[in-house]
Amino acid sequence: MAENTSNSGLLMVRLVTPDRVLLDATAEAVELPSRSGYLEALYGAAPLLAELGAGEVRLHGGTSGDQKFFVAWGFVEVLPERVTILAETALHPNEINVAEAQTELQEGEKLWQEAGDDGEKYDEANAVTRQAEEKIASAEGKST
Amino acid sequence: MANVLDLRRRIRSVKNTRQITKAMKMVSAAKLRRAQERAMQARPYAQMLTNVLESLVRRSDLFNDETGDVMHPLLVEREEKNVLVVVVAGDKGFAGAFNSNIVKAAQNFIDSRRAAGQNVDVEPVGRKARDTFRKRYPAAVYEKTEEHYDNDLSTHFETLRHRASPIEVTGDHPTMLLKIQIDDVSDMARDIVERYTRSEIDSVYLVYNEFKSVIAQRVVVEKLLPIRKLGSHEITAAEEMSEEQREAAAHAAKTAGISVNVPEETVVEAEAKKFGTAEVDYIFDQEPERLFRHLMPRYVTTQIFHALLESAAAEHAARMTAMDSATNNAGDMIDALSLTMNRVRQAAITKEIIEIVSGAAAL
Repeated sequence: MAENTSNSGLLMVRLVTPDRVLLDATAEAVELPSRSGYLEALYGAAPLLAELGAGEVRLHGGTSGDQKFFVAWGFVEVLPERVTILAETALHPNEINVAEAQTELQEGEKLWQEAGDDGEKYDEANAVTRQAEEKIASAEGKST
Repeated sequence: MANVLDLRRRIRSVKNTRQITKAMKMVSAAKLRRAQERAMQARPYAQMLTNVLESLVRRSDLFNDETGDVMHPLLVEREEKNVLVVVVAGDKGFAGAFNSNIVKAAQNFIDSRRAAGQNVDVEPVGRKARDTFRKRYPAAVYEKTEEHYDNDLSTHFETLRHRASPIEVTGDHPTMLLKIQIDDVSDMARDIVERYTRSEIDSVYLVYNEFKSVIAQRVVVEKLLPIRKLGSHEITAAEEMSEEQREAAAHAAKTAGISVNVPEETVVEAEAKKFGTAEVDYIFDQEPERLFRHLMPRYVTTQIFHALLESAAAEHAARMTAMDSATNNAGDMIDALSLTMNRVRQAAITKEIIEIVSGAAAL
């Protein structure tokens, strides 16, 4: 497989969740929501290891066309010819349950109220809120 | 002696039972196949996560230069005074000795720790484990305190543990096995990590049924925290299958069309092993220490998740084996009963002939 793609200028993209390998495809470019903001990987990128935040992974070009996935929390490894995304949660935008995400959002806000002076709890509350917000945005196709 | 009619009724009833056990066996076989697949699919993630951790360990300084202390709380080894043991059993019976083996292994562990003067917390997963340990030990009592200061602008929460007895049940997860989901496991792992970090417990062990294939299983006690070596399972005690059990399992698997071999490594899995280990200098998007801090709880989650999936597969395998022997036993019983029935019938016929013959002779 590696021989076929090594000169084609296409990245091999693999999206792995704790349950299964969700996606195994090729793409010309991949947008990734890292903790510190979106980054885009192209063929031949410098090796990078980053923590994943919540947001959308977007694949451009490639044999199976453009694809989008909502992901939250995990890690991503970028190598010159391969991108591997390790996500705790990964959903196809169609699979997102908006009502559920709304409940999560409220829960996050509740956690935030209750966090008191505990820094870690704040982080957790923020994480929950952010994930819910991104989920809703992704479901509505308005993700930034 | 029973008459023919009774025996015939009895045979019919055993035949019905045999049909039920046979159906249960096939259902378990199908569930086992799915559980096995699920466990396989979960492997790449676990492997990759471990790799990221290892690659981080190599790069980031986990030890404080000045004091030589380990930086991450989950790696710190303390004297084991309070031990937490997570017992993973099944939700349902009809699985042979599956549940009782696990409970026995857990009880041995608890007794030995208790004999060494340590306090033990039990966290049962699965209804069978919960029912057993709830009956034996009291539940732990927690007190949540709330302190308000700065005119209620700030609140401080604290959870206090009041230990009344040396062995207590700290929490249970009766519904976790219905549908093993990473979110539930993640909540549980976070709770455990939190308790570990605030020194309520000094070490964490996991008792579960390891599953490599139908004929390669064992009940193990695995050390979960503190993590001594990443990626390796630290087994402190193991109970292998007996030759007899193995034969029974192999027979059940053969008749249900399940392979007894350990599944081969897939391409994805082989590549998963290389994840994060390329001989290049990675650019880290965040500082390695920070990445590491976020990774550790996830690593613990994955370990528990993995144990749950294997245990689920093992439970189905155990049920399949148990139902297979039940079916065989029913078959044997039908044979024995048919023999007796024929004998009784023959005896009745013989008796009648003798009666007729002697009646005729008397004429």
